Amino acid sequence: MIKEFTKGLFKENPIFVIALGLCPTLATSTMVINALGMGAGVIFVLVCSNIFISLLKDFIPDTVRIPAYIVVIAAFVTIVQMVMEAYCPALYAALGVFVPLIVVNCIILGRAEAFANKNKVLPSILDGLGMGIGFTISLTLIALIREVLGSGTITLPGCVITVPGISLAPIRVIAFPAGALLVLGLLRAYFQHRSIKK
Amino acid sequence: MIKTVISIALRLMIICLVAAGALAYVNGITAPQVAASKAQAELDALSVINQAGTIGKKVEGDGAGVNYYFPVTDNGTVTNYILSLKSQGYGGDLIILANFKANGEIIDAKLMEDAETPGLGKKAEESWYMNKFKGTGASTPVPVKKTMLAAADADVISGATITFTGVSKALEYGSDFAKKLGGQQ
Amino acid sequence: MTFIAIIITYVFINNFILNQFMGMCPFIGVSKDYESAVGMGFAVTFVTSVASLATWCVQHFLLIPFGLTYLQTITFILVIAALVQFVEMVVHKVSPSLYKSLGIFLPLITTNCAVLGIALIAVGKNYNALESFVAGLAAGLGFLLAIVLMSCIRERLADEDIPKAFKGAPIAFITASLMALAFMAFDAALLNNLIG
Repeated sequence: MIKEFTKGLFKENPIFVIALGLCPTLATSTMVINALGMGAGVIFVLVCSNIFISLLKDFIPDTVRIPAYIVVIAAFVTIVQMVMEAYCPALYAALGVFVPLIVVNCIILGRAEAFANKNKVLPSILDGLGMGIGFTISLTLIALIREVLGSGTITLPGCVITVPGISLAPIRVIAFPAGALLVLGLLRAYFQHRSIKK
Repeated sequence: MIKTVISIALRLMIICLVAAGALAYVNGITAPQVAASKAQAELDALSVINQAGTIGKKVEGDGAGVNYYFPVTDNGTVTNYILSLKSQGYGGDLIILANFKANGEIIDAKLMEDAETPGLGKKAEESWYMNKFKGTGASTPVPVKKTMLAAADADVISGATITFTGVSKALEYGSDFAKKLGGQQ
Repeated sequence: MTFIAIIITYVFINNFILNQFMGMCPFIGVSKDYESAVGMGFAVTFVTSVASLATWCVQHFLLIPFGLTYLQTITFILVIAALVQFVEMVVHKVSPSLYKSLGIFLPLITTNCAVLGIALIAVGKNYNALESFVAGLAAGLGFLLAIVLMSCIRERLADEDIPKAFKGAPIAFITASLMALAFMAFDAALLNNLIG
Protein backbone atom coordinates (compact mmCIF):
# COMPACT_ATOMS: atom_id res chain seq x y z
CA MET A 1 0.00 0.00 0.00
CA ILE A 2 2.78 2.40 0.93
CA LYS A 3 4.21 1.83 -2.55
CA GLU A 4 1.23 3.66 -4.07
CA PHE A 5 2.36 6.70 -2.13
CA THR A 6 6.11 6.65 -2.73
CA LYS A 7 6.02 5.86 -6.46
CA GLY A 8 4.87 9.41 -7.25
CA LEU A 9 7.76 10.89 -5.34
CA PHE A 10 10.58 9.19 -7.23
CA LYS A 11 10.00 6.29 -9.58
CA GLU A 12 7.06 7.81 -11.43
CA ASN A 13 7.71 11.46 -10.57
CA PRO A 14 5.21 13.30 -12.76
CA ILE A 15 7.51 16.10 -13.87
CA PHE A 16 10.98 14.64 -14.16
CA VAL A 17 10.16 11.08 -15.20
CA ILE A 18 6.73 10.93 -16.85
CA ALA A 19 6.77 14.56 -18.06
CA LEU A 20 3.16 15.50 -17.40
CA GLY A 21 1.77 18.85 -16.31
CA LEU A 22 4.55 20.92 -17.79
CA CYS A 23 2.72 24.21 -18.41
CA PRO A 24 2.08 25.07 -14.75
CA THR A 25 5.54 23.78 -13.82
CA LEU A 26 7.23 26.25 -16.08
CA ALA A 27 4.86 29.16 -15.67
CA THR A 28 4.42 29.22 -11.89
CA SER A 29 8.00 28.44 -10.90
CA THR A 30 9.15 32.07 -10.79
CA MET A 31 8.84 32.24 -7.00
CA VAL A 32 8.90 29.56 -4.29
CA ILE A 33 5.64 30.81 -2.78
CA ASN A 34 3.83 30.51 -6.12
CA ALA A 35 5.12 26.97 -6.55
CA LEU A 36 3.92 25.99 -3.09
CA GLY A 37 0.48 27.52 -3.72
CA MET A 38 0.16 25.80 -7.09
CA GLY A 39 1.29 22.52 -5.52
CA ALA A 40 -1.27 22.79 -2.74
CA GLY A 41 -4.03 23.40 -5.30
CA VAL A 42 -2.97 20.41 -7.40
CA ILE A 43 -2.71 18.10 -4.34
CA PHE A 44 -6.22 19.07 -3.24
CA VAL A 45 -7.77 18.58 -6.67
CA LEU A 46 -5.88 15.36 -7.32
CA VAL A 47 -6.82 13.72 -4.00
CA CYS A 48 -10.47 14.83 -4.17
CA SER A 49 -10.96 13.81 -7.79
CA ASN A 50 -9.26 10.46 -7.12
CA ILE A 51 -11.61 9.83 -4.16
CA PHE A 52 -14.74 10.69 -6.10
CA ILE A 53 -13.79 8.88 -9.26
CA SER A 54 -12.92 5.68 -7.39
CA LEU A 55 -16.22 5.94 -5.49
CA LEU A 56 -18.23 6.61 -8.65
CA LYS A 57 -16.44 4.15 -10.90
CA ASP A 58 -19.51 1.88 -11.13
CA PHE A 59 -21.91 4.79 -11.54
CA ILE A 60 -20.03 6.49 -14.39
CA PRO A 61 -20.87 4.85 -17.75
CA ASP A 62 -17.71 3.68 -19.48
CA THR A 63 -18.50 5.34 -22.83
CA VAL A 64 -18.67 8.86 -21.39
CA ARG A 65 -16.11 8.47 -18.62
CA ILE A 66 -13.74 11.18 -19.86
CA PRO A 67 -16.37 13.98 -19.86
CA ALA A 68 -17.58 12.75 -16.46
CA TYR A 69 -14.03 12.89 -15.06
CA ILE A 70 -13.58 16.36 -16.51
CA VAL A 71 -16.75 17.57 -14.77
CA VAL A 72 -15.58 16.18 -11.42
CA ILE A 73 -12.09 17.68 -11.83
CA ALA A 74 -13.40 21.06 -13.04
CA ALA A 75 -15.74 21.25 -10.03
CA PHE A 76 -12.85 20.80 -7.58
CA VAL A 77 -10.66 23.23 -9.52
CA THR A 78 -13.38 25.85 -9.31
CA ILE A 79 -13.63 25.28 -5.55
CA VAL A 80 -9.86 25.82 -5.24
CA GLN A 81 -10.18 28.93 -7.39
CA MET A 82 -12.96 30.42 -5.27
CA VAL A 83 -11.33 29.59 -1.93
CA MET A 84 -7.97 30.96 -3.10
CA GLU A 85 -9.56 34.16 -4.37
CA ALA A 86 -11.38 34.64 -1.07
CA TYR A 87 -8.61 33.83 1.40
CA CYS A 88 -5.28 34.31 -0.46
CA PRO A 89 -6.00 37.03 -3.04
CA ALA A 90 -2.29 37.82 -3.51
CA LEU A 91 -1.51 34.23 -4.44
CA TYR A 92 -4.58 34.08 -6.68
CA ALA A 93 -3.41 37.21 -8.51
CA ALA A 94 0.12 35.83 -8.91
CA LEU A 95 -1.00 32.47 -10.33
CA GLY A 96 -3.64 34.09 -12.55
CA VAL A 97 -5.02 32.00 -15.35
CA PHE A 98 -2.99 28.98 -14.22
CA VAL A 99 -5.43 28.25 -11.38
CA PRO A 100 -8.36 27.39 -13.71
CA LEU A 101 -5.85 25.69 -15.99
CA ILE A 102 -5.32 23.00 -13.32
CA VAL A 103 -8.32 21.40 -15.08
CA VAL A 104 -6.22 20.53 -18.09
CA ASN A 105 -3.19 19.47 -16.05
CA CYS A 106 -2.64 16.04 -17.59
CA ILE A 107 -1.51 14.57 -14.24
CA ILE A 108 -5.02 14.74 -12.81
CA LEU A 109 -6.93 13.26 -15.73
CA GLY A 110 -4.05 10.82 -16.18
CA ARG A 111 -4.33 9.48 -12.61
CA ALA A 112 -8.13 9.25 -12.89
CA GLU A 113 -7.85 7.19 -16.06
CA ALA A 114 -4.82 5.11 -15.09
CA PHE A 115 -5.45 4.52 -11.39
CA ALA A 116 -8.57 5.79 -9.64
CA ASN A 117 -11.11 4.12 -11.92
CA LYS A 118 -9.56 0.71 -11.29
CA ASN A 119 -8.80 0.91 -7.57
CA LYS A 120 -10.46 1.27 -4.20
CA VAL A 121 -10.70 4.56 -2.34
CA LEU A 122 -7.73 4.21 0.04
CA PRO A 123 -5.10 3.31 -2.58
CA SER A 124 -6.51 6.10 -4.76
CA ILE A 125 -6.02 8.64 -1.97
CA LEU A 126 -2.44 7.50 -1.46
CA ASP A 127 -1.79 7.57 -5.19
CA GLY A 128 -3.18 11.10 -5.48
CA LEU A 129 -1.24 12.27 -2.43
CA GLY A 130 2.02 10.77 -3.67
CA MET A 131 1.68 12.13 -7.19
CA GLY A 132 0.60 15.54 -5.87
CA ILE A 133 3.49 15.77 -3.43
CA GLY A 134 5.92 14.54 -6.10
CA PHE A 135 4.63 17.29 -8.39
CA THR A 136 4.93 19.91 -5.64
CA ILE A 137 8.47 18.91 -4.68
CA SER A 138 9.66 19.04 -8.29
CA LEU A 139 7.88 22.33 -8.91
CA THR A 140 9.34 23.85 -5.74
CA LEU A 141 12.83 22.62 -6.63
CA ILE A 142 12.63 24.37 -10.00
CA ALA A 143 11.20 27.49 -8.38
CA LEU A 144 13.96 27.50 -5.74
CA ILE A 145 16.70 27.27 -8.38
CA ARG A 146 15.04 29.93 -10.52
CA GLU A 147 14.32 32.37 -7.71
CA VAL A 148 17.76 32.09 -6.10
CA LEU A 149 19.67 32.43 -9.36
CA GLY A 150 17.23 34.75 -11.13
CA SER A 151 16.46 37.29 -8.45
CA GLY A 152 18.58 36.34 -5.43
CA THR A 153 15.65 35.88 -3.07
CA ILE A 154 13.60 33.05 -1.57
CA THR A 155 9.98 34.07 -1.04
CA LEU A 156 8.28 31.88 1.56
CA PRO A 157 4.83 32.42 3.03
CA GLY A 158 5.26 35.36 5.39
CA CYS A 159 8.93 36.14 4.80
CA VAL A 160 11.45 36.89 2.08
CA ILE A 161 15.02 35.63 2.43
CA THR A 162 17.62 37.59 0.50
CA VAL A 163 20.55 35.49 -0.67
CA PRO A 164 23.73 37.47 0.01
CA GLY A 165 25.91 38.03 -3.03
CA ILE A 166 23.53 36.81 -5.71
CA SER A 167 20.84 39.38 -4.99
CA LEU A 168 23.19 42.18 -6.05
CA ALA A 169 23.82 40.72 -9.49
CA PRO A 170 21.33 37.92 -10.19
CA ILE A 171 21.37 35.93 -13.44
CA ARG A 172 18.25 37.68 -14.59
CA VAL A 173 17.53 35.51 -17.60
CA ILE A 174 16.75 32.58 -15.26
CA ALA A 175 13.65 34.48 -14.07
CA PHE A 176 12.42 34.78 -17.66
CA PRO A 177 10.61 32.05 -19.64
CA ALA A 178 13.87 31.03 -21.35
CA GLY A 179 15.42 30.34 -17.95
CA ALA A 180 12.54 28.07 -16.93
CA LEU A 181 13.06 25.89 -19.99
CA LEU A 182 16.83 25.80 -19.44
CA VAL A 183 16.53 24.76 -15.77
CA LEU A 184 13.96 22.06 -16.59
CA GLY A 185 16.12 20.78 -19.47
CA LEU A 186 19.20 20.47 -17.26
CA LEU A 187 17.25 18.79 -14.44
CA ARG A 188 15.73 16.31 -16.92
CA ALA A 189 19.22 15.57 -18.23
CA TYR A 190 20.41 14.87 -14.68
CA PHE A 191 17.53 12.43 -14.04
CA GLN A 192 18.14 10.74 -17.40
CA HIS A 193 21.83 10.45 -16.54
CA ARG A 194 20.99 8.77 -13.23
CA SER A 195 18.64 6.27 -14.82
CA ILE A 196 21.22 5.36 -17.48
CA LYS A 197 23.84 4.71 -14.81
CA LYS A 198 21.54 2.28 -13.05
CA MET B 1 -30.25 0.63 -27.04
CA ILE B 2 -32.38 3.69 -26.29
CA LYS B 3 -32.58 2.65 -22.67
CA THR B 4 -28.77 2.63 -22.28
CA VAL B 5 -28.48 6.02 -23.99
CA ILE B 6 -31.02 7.49 -21.58
CA SER B 7 -29.28 5.90 -18.63
CA ILE B 8 -25.91 7.33 -19.74
CA ALA B 9 -27.38 10.79 -20.30
CA LEU B 10 -29.16 10.68 -16.93
CA ARG B 11 -26.04 9.69 -15.04
CA LEU B 12 -23.94 12.36 -16.73
CA MET B 13 -26.63 14.91 -15.97
CA ILE B 14 -26.75 13.92 -12.30
CA ILE B 15 -22.97 14.39 -12.04
CA CYS B 16 -23.21 17.81 -13.70
CA LEU B 17 -26.08 18.91 -11.48
CA VAL B 18 -24.37 17.78 -8.27
CA ALA B 19 -21.17 19.56 -9.36
CA ALA B 20 -23.03 22.76 -10.20
CA GLY B 21 -24.93 22.63 -6.91
CA ALA B 22 -21.71 22.17 -4.92
CA LEU B 23 -20.13 25.10 -6.73
CA ALA B 24 -23.13 27.33 -6.12
CA TYR B 25 -22.85 26.48 -2.41
CA VAL B 26 -19.14 27.26 -2.18
CA ASN B 27 -19.64 30.40 -4.23
CA GLY B 28 -22.27 31.54 -1.77
CA ILE B 29 -19.69 31.29 1.02
CA THR B 30 -16.68 32.77 -0.77
CA ALA B 31 -18.25 35.52 -2.90
CA PRO B 32 -18.91 37.94 0.00
CA GLN B 33 -15.40 37.24 1.30
CA VAL B 34 -13.90 38.06 -2.12
CA ALA B 35 -15.82 41.31 -2.33
CA ALA B 36 -14.88 42.21 1.25
CA SER B 37 -11.16 41.54 0.81
CA LYS B 38 -11.10 43.51 -2.45
CA ALA B 39 -12.81 46.47 -0.82
CA GLN B 40 -10.47 46.19 2.19
CA ALA B 41 -7.36 46.17 -0.03
CA GLU B 42 -8.55 49.33 -1.78
CA LEU B 43 -9.41 51.03 1.51
CA ASP B 44 -5.96 50.19 2.91
CA ALA B 45 -4.25 51.58 -0.17
CA LEU B 46 -6.45 54.67 -0.13
CA SER B 47 -5.62 55.43 3.49
CA VAL B 48 -1.89 54.95 2.85
CA ILE B 49 -1.67 57.37 -0.07
CA ASN B 50 -4.18 59.89 1.20
CA GLN B 51 -2.41 62.54 3.30
CA ALA B 52 -5.22 64.62 4.71
CA GLY B 53 -8.72 65.48 3.74
CA THR B 54 -11.91 63.53 3.19
CA ILE B 55 -12.21 61.04 0.40
CA GLY B 56 -15.33 61.74 -1.62
CA LYS B 57 -17.61 59.60 -3.73
CA LYS B 58 -16.19 57.31 -6.42
CA VAL B 59 -16.53 58.77 -9.95
CA GLU B 60 -16.27 56.72 -13.16
CA GLY B 61 -13.13 57.41 -15.24
CA ASP B 62 -12.74 58.21 -18.93
CA GLY B 63 -12.65 54.60 -20.13
CA ALA B 64 -9.07 55.00 -21.41
CA GLY B 65 -6.31 55.48 -18.86
CA VAL B 66 -8.40 56.26 -15.80
CA ASN B 67 -10.62 53.51 -14.37
CA TYR B 68 -12.25 55.69 -11.72
CA TYR B 69 -11.30 58.44 -9.30
CA PHE B 70 -12.13 59.95 -5.91
CA PRO B 71 -12.08 63.69 -5.29
CA VAL B 72 -10.45 64.56 -1.94
CA THR B 73 -11.86 67.56 -0.13
CA ASP B 74 -10.50 69.68 2.70
CA ASN B 75 -13.15 71.86 4.35
CA GLY B 76 -15.38 71.65 1.30
CA THR B 77 -12.79 72.58 -1.36
CA VAL B 78 -11.31 69.90 -3.61
CA THR B 79 -7.56 69.76 -3.04
CA ASN B 80 -6.56 66.37 -4.41
CA TYR B 81 -7.72 63.51 -6.62
CA ILE B 82 -7.02 59.83 -6.06
CA LEU B 83 -7.02 58.08 -9.42
CA SER B 84 -7.07 54.41 -10.36
CA LEU B 85 -4.88 54.28 -13.49
CA LYS B 86 -4.49 51.53 -16.06
CA SER B 87 -1.40 50.88 -18.17
CA GLN B 88 0.56 48.15 -19.97
CA GLY B 89 3.58 46.57 -18.29
CA TYR B 90 5.94 43.82 -19.39
CA GLY B 91 3.81 40.90 -18.26
CA GLY B 92 0.34 42.40 -18.61
CA ASP B 93 -1.86 45.19 -17.32
CA LEU B 94 -0.73 47.49 -14.53
CA ILE B 95 -3.24 49.04 -12.13
CA ILE B 96 -1.91 52.01 -10.17
CA LEU B 97 -3.62 54.00 -7.44
CA ALA B 98 -2.19 57.51 -7.25
CA ASN B 99 -2.84 60.71 -5.33
CA PHE B 100 -2.53 63.97 -7.30
CA LYS B 101 -2.90 67.58 -6.24
CA ALA B 102 -5.42 69.53 -8.30
CA ASN B 103 -2.47 71.15 -10.15
CA GLY B 104 -1.26 67.70 -11.29
CA GLU B 105 1.53 67.21 -8.75
CA ILE B 106 2.05 63.58 -7.69
CA ILE B 107 1.79 63.10 -3.93
CA ASP B 108 2.03 59.33 -3.73
CA ALA B 109 1.31 56.24 -5.79
CA LYS B 110 0.97 52.51 -5.30
CA LEU B 111 1.05 49.64 -7.76
CA MET B 112 -2.06 47.58 -7.08
CA GLU B 113 -2.01 44.84 -9.74
CA ASP B 114 0.72 43.63 -12.06
CA ALA B 115 2.23 40.55 -13.69
CA GLU B 116 5.84 41.73 -13.85
CA THR B 117 9.05 39.69 -13.62
CA PRO B 118 10.22 39.03 -10.06
CA GLY B 119 13.46 40.86 -9.31
CA LEU B 120 12.98 43.26 -12.22
CA GLY B 121 9.63 44.90 -12.93
CA LYS B 122 8.18 43.45 -9.69
CA LYS B 123 10.29 46.05 -7.82
CA ALA B 124 7.69 48.61 -8.82
CA GLU B 125 5.45 47.12 -6.12
CA GLU B 126 7.80 48.35 -3.41
CA SER B 127 7.10 51.74 -1.88
CA TRP B 128 10.49 53.35 -2.67
CA TYR B 129 9.94 52.78 -6.40
CA MET B 130 7.36 55.53 -6.56
CA ASN B 131 9.56 58.04 -4.70
CA LYS B 132 11.20 59.24 -7.89
CA PHE B 133 7.83 60.36 -9.19
CA LYS B 134 6.75 62.24 -6.08
CA GLY B 135 6.59 66.00 -6.49
CA THR B 136 6.65 65.86 -10.28
CA GLY B 137 3.75 66.58 -12.59
CA ALA B 138 3.17 70.27 -11.83
CA SER B 139 6.28 72.47 -12.17
CA THR B 140 8.61 69.61 -13.19
CA PRO B 141 7.42 67.08 -15.79
CA VAL B 142 6.80 63.42 -14.85
CA PRO B 143 9.99 61.50 -15.74
CA VAL B 144 8.95 59.27 -18.64
CA LYS B 145 12.46 58.56 -19.94
CA LYS B 146 15.51 57.17 -18.17
CA THR B 147 17.47 60.29 -19.11
CA MET B 148 15.11 62.40 -17.00
CA LEU B 149 16.14 60.54 -13.83
CA ALA B 150 19.09 60.91 -11.49
CA ALA B 151 21.85 58.39 -12.26
CA ALA B 152 21.16 56.28 -9.16
CA ASP B 153 17.45 56.05 -9.97
CA ALA B 154 18.13 55.19 -13.60
CA ASP B 155 20.38 52.34 -12.45
CA VAL B 156 17.62 50.83 -10.36
CA ILE B 157 15.18 50.57 -13.24
CA SER B 158 17.70 49.19 -15.78
CA GLY B 159 16.50 45.82 -17.02
CA ALA B 160 12.88 46.79 -16.42
CA THR B 161 12.42 49.70 -18.79
CA ILE B 162 9.03 48.56 -20.01
CA THR B 163 7.63 48.48 -16.49
CA PHE B 164 9.07 51.94 -15.88
CA THR B 165 7.54 53.26 -19.10
CA GLY B 166 4.18 51.72 -18.18
CA VAL B 167 4.18 53.25 -14.69
CA SER B 168 5.44 56.66 -15.78
CA LYS B 169 3.06 56.94 -18.75
CA ALA B 170 0.14 56.12 -16.44
CA LEU B 171 1.24 58.74 -13.92
CA GLU B 172 1.76 61.35 -16.64
CA TYR B 173 -1.73 60.62 -17.96
CA GLY B 174 -3.14 60.84 -14.45
CA SER B 175 -1.39 64.15 -13.82
CA ASP B 176 -2.93 65.62 -16.99
CA PHE B 177 -6.31 64.19 -16.02
CA ALA B 178 -6.10 65.83 -12.57
CA LYS B 179 -5.12 69.15 -14.19
CA LYS B 180 -8.12 68.95 -16.50
CA LEU B 181 -10.44 68.33 -13.57
CA GLY B 182 -8.80 71.38 -12.02
CA GLY B 183 -10.51 71.45 -8.62
CA GLN B 184 -13.98 70.48 -9.86
CA GLN B 185 -15.94 67.80 -8.03
CA MET C 1 -6.86 47.02 -29.43
CA THR C 2 -6.63 46.63 -33.18
CA PHE C 3 -6.57 43.19 -34.78
CA ILE C 4 -2.97 43.62 -35.90
CA ALA C 5 -1.96 44.37 -32.33
CA ILE C 6 -3.75 41.25 -31.09
CA ILE C 7 -2.08 39.10 -33.72
CA ILE C 8 1.41 40.44 -33.01
CA THR C 9 0.83 40.05 -29.28
CA TYR C 10 -0.17 36.39 -29.36
CA VAL C 11 2.05 35.20 -32.22
CA PHE C 12 5.28 36.89 -31.14
CA ILE C 13 5.24 38.79 -27.84
CA ASN C 14 3.15 36.43 -25.70
CA ASN C 15 3.83 33.37 -27.82
CA PHE C 16 1.79 30.66 -26.13
CA ILE C 17 4.62 28.18 -25.94
CA LEU C 18 7.77 30.21 -25.64
CA ASN C 19 6.40 32.86 -23.29
CA GLN C 20 3.30 31.43 -21.60
CA PHE C 21 4.19 27.72 -21.67
CA MET C 22 0.66 26.75 -22.65
CA GLY C 23 0.56 23.62 -24.78
CA MET C 24 3.98 22.47 -23.61
CA CYS C 25 3.10 18.75 -23.47
CA PRO C 26 2.21 18.36 -27.18
CA PHE C 27 5.01 20.80 -28.04
CA ILE C 28 7.58 18.37 -26.62
CA GLY C 29 5.61 15.22 -27.44
CA VAL C 30 4.65 15.79 -31.09
CA SER C 31 7.59 17.81 -32.40
CA LYS C 32 9.86 14.90 -33.37
CA ASP C 33 9.00 15.15 -37.07
CA TYR C 34 7.92 17.95 -39.36
CA GLU C 35 4.77 16.31 -40.79
CA SER C 36 3.06 15.66 -37.49
CA ALA C 37 4.15 19.04 -36.11
CA VAL C 38 2.38 20.78 -39.00
CA GLY C 39 -0.71 18.60 -38.50
CA MET C 40 -0.83 19.27 -34.77
CA GLY C 41 -0.23 22.98 -35.32
CA PHE C 42 -3.13 23.35 -37.74
CA ALA C 43 -5.45 21.22 -35.61
CA VAL C 44 -4.70 23.40 -32.56
CA THR C 45 -5.11 26.64 -34.56
CA PHE C 46 -8.50 25.48 -35.80
CA VAL C 47 -9.71 24.49 -32.34
CA THR C 48 -8.39 27.60 -30.54
CA SER C 49 -10.11 29.94 -33.01
CA VAL C 50 -13.47 28.16 -32.92
CA ALA C 51 -13.26 27.53 -29.16
CA SER C 52 -12.56 31.13 -28.22
CA LEU C 53 -15.54 32.25 -30.30
CA ALA C 54 -17.77 29.53 -28.79
CA THR C 55 -16.71 30.27 -25.21
CA TRP C 56 -17.28 33.99 -25.82
CA CYS C 57 -20.86 33.17 -26.79
CA VAL C 58 -21.28 30.95 -23.71
CA GLN C 59 -19.90 33.68 -21.47
CA HIS C 60 -22.03 36.50 -22.87
CA PHE C 61 -25.29 34.73 -23.67
CA LEU C 62 -25.40 32.21 -20.84
CA LEU C 63 -23.10 32.83 -17.88
CA ILE C 64 -23.33 36.62 -17.50
CA PRO C 65 -27.12 37.02 -18.08
CA PHE C 66 -27.86 34.25 -15.55
CA GLY C 67 -25.19 35.31 -13.04
CA LEU C 68 -23.41 31.97 -13.28
CA THR C 69 -19.86 33.18 -13.90
CA TYR C 70 -18.58 30.90 -11.15
CA LEU C 71 -19.35 27.98 -13.48
CA GLN C 72 -16.95 29.42 -16.07
CA THR C 73 -14.18 26.82 -15.84
CA ILE C 74 -16.54 23.84 -15.87
CA THR C 75 -18.66 25.04 -18.80
CA PHE C 76 -15.67 26.18 -20.87
CA ILE C 77 -13.92 22.83 -20.58
CA LEU C 78 -17.14 20.99 -21.45
CA VAL C 79 -17.75 23.24 -24.45
CA ILE C 80 -14.19 22.62 -25.61
CA ALA C 81 -14.47 18.85 -25.11
CA ALA C 82 -17.77 18.76 -27.01
CA LEU C 83 -16.38 20.99 -29.74
CA VAL C 84 -13.33 18.82 -30.24
CA GLN C 85 -15.56 15.74 -30.47
CA PHE C 86 -17.83 17.51 -32.96
CA VAL C 87 -14.93 18.71 -35.10
CA GLU C 88 -13.55 15.20 -35.12
CA MET C 89 -16.87 13.79 -36.38
CA VAL C 90 -17.34 16.48 -39.02
CA VAL C 91 -13.82 16.16 -40.36
CA HIS C 92 -14.22 12.38 -40.42
CA LYS C 93 -17.40 12.61 -42.53
CA VAL C 94 -16.47 15.52 -44.80
CA SER C 95 -12.85 14.91 -45.59
CA PRO C 96 -11.34 11.52 -44.81
CA SER C 97 -7.95 12.66 -46.12
CA LEU C 98 -7.87 15.62 -43.73
CA TYR C 99 -9.03 13.29 -40.96
CA LYS C 100 -6.11 11.02 -41.69
CA SER C 101 -3.62 13.86 -41.22
CA LEU C 102 -5.32 15.71 -38.33
CA GLY C 103 -7.53 13.04 -36.79
CA ILE C 104 -5.06 11.43 -34.44
CA PHE C 105 -4.22 14.80 -32.87
CA LEU C 106 -7.75 15.94 -32.22
CA PRO C 107 -8.53 13.89 -29.07
CA LEU C 108 -5.29 15.20 -27.51
CA ILE C 109 -6.36 18.79 -27.92
CA THR C 110 -9.03 18.81 -25.19
CA THR C 111 -6.31 18.67 -22.55
CA ASN C 112 -4.09 21.19 -24.35
CA CYS C 113 -3.71 24.17 -22.01
CA ALA C 114 -3.59 26.53 -24.96
CA VAL C 115 -7.25 26.05 -25.86
CA LEU C 116 -8.73 26.66 -22.41
CA GLY C 117 -5.99 29.23 -21.79
CA ILE C 118 -6.86 31.53 -24.69
CA ALA C 119 -10.58 31.17 -23.97
CA LEU C 120 -10.05 32.32 -20.37
CA ILE C 121 -7.62 35.09 -21.34
CA ALA C 122 -9.95 36.44 -24.05
CA VAL C 123 -12.85 36.57 -21.61
CA GLY C 124 -10.62 38.09 -18.91
CA LYS C 125 -9.50 40.86 -21.26
CA ASN C 126 -13.09 41.71 -22.23
CA TYR C 127 -12.58 41.19 -25.93
CA ASN C 128 -15.63 41.37 -28.18
CA ALA C 129 -16.67 38.37 -30.29
CA LEU C 130 -14.46 39.17 -33.27
CA GLU C 131 -11.46 40.07 -31.11
CA SER C 132 -11.85 36.78 -29.24
CA PHE C 133 -11.85 34.87 -32.50
CA VAL C 134 -8.76 36.74 -33.74
CA ALA C 135 -7.00 36.17 -30.40
CA GLY C 136 -7.77 32.44 -30.66
CA LEU C 137 -6.51 32.34 -34.22
CA ALA C 138 -3.33 34.23 -33.29
CA ALA C 139 -2.64 32.01 -30.28
CA GLY C 140 -2.99 28.96 -32.52
CA LEU C 141 -0.71 30.48 -35.15
CA GLY C 142 1.87 31.21 -32.46
CA PHE C 143 1.69 27.55 -31.41
CA LEU C 144 2.01 26.47 -35.06
CA LEU C 145 5.05 28.71 -35.58
CA ALA C 146 6.83 27.44 -32.48
CA ILE C 147 6.10 23.74 -33.02
CA VAL C 148 7.10 23.85 -36.72
CA LEU C 149 10.39 25.65 -35.95
CA MET C 150 11.03 23.15 -33.15
CA SER C 151 10.35 20.12 -35.35
CA CYS C 152 12.81 21.36 -38.00
CA ILE C 153 15.52 21.74 -35.36
CA ARG C 154 14.76 18.37 -33.78
CA GLU C 155 14.91 16.59 -37.13
CA ARG C 156 18.46 17.85 -37.47
CA LEU C 157 19.30 17.13 -33.85
CA ALA C 158 18.31 13.49 -34.41
CA ASP C 159 21.43 13.00 -36.56
CA GLU C 160 23.77 14.75 -34.15
CA ASP C 161 25.98 13.08 -31.59
CA ILE C 162 24.29 14.22 -28.39
CA PRO C 163 25.47 13.02 -24.94
CA LYS C 164 23.19 10.19 -23.77
CA ALA C 165 21.91 12.14 -20.77
CA PHE C 166 20.64 14.91 -23.05
CA LYS C 167 18.97 12.74 -25.73
CA GLY C 168 15.26 13.27 -26.26
CA ALA C 169 13.37 15.58 -23.94
CA PRO C 170 16.31 17.35 -22.17
CA ILE C 171 17.86 18.67 -25.38
CA ALA C 172 14.38 19.59 -26.61
CA PHE C 173 13.86 21.77 -23.53
CA ILE C 174 17.25 23.42 -23.97
CA THR C 175 16.47 24.06 -27.65
CA ALA C 176 13.15 25.59 -26.64
CA SER C 177 14.98 27.70 -24.07
CA LEU C 178 17.24 29.17 -26.77
CA MET C 179 14.18 29.82 -28.95
CA ALA C 180 12.49 31.58 -26.04
CA LEU C 181 15.62 33.68 -25.60
CA ALA C 182 15.37 34.74 -29.25
CA PHE C 183 11.66 35.51 -28.85
CA MET C 184 12.51 37.88 -25.97
CA ALA C 185 13.42 40.34 -28.70
CA PHE C 186 9.69 40.70 -29.29
CA ASP C 187 8.30 42.73 -26.41
CA ALA C 188 5.75 45.42 -25.74
CA ALA C 189 8.21 48.04 -27.03
CA LEU C 190 7.95 46.45 -30.48
CA LEU C 191 4.20 46.93 -30.45
CA ASN C 192 4.53 50.54 -29.29
CA ASN C 193 7.02 51.31 -32.05
CA LEU C 194 4.97 49.61 -34.76
CA ILE C 195 1.52 50.87 -33.86
CA GLY C 196 2.18 53.67 -31.42
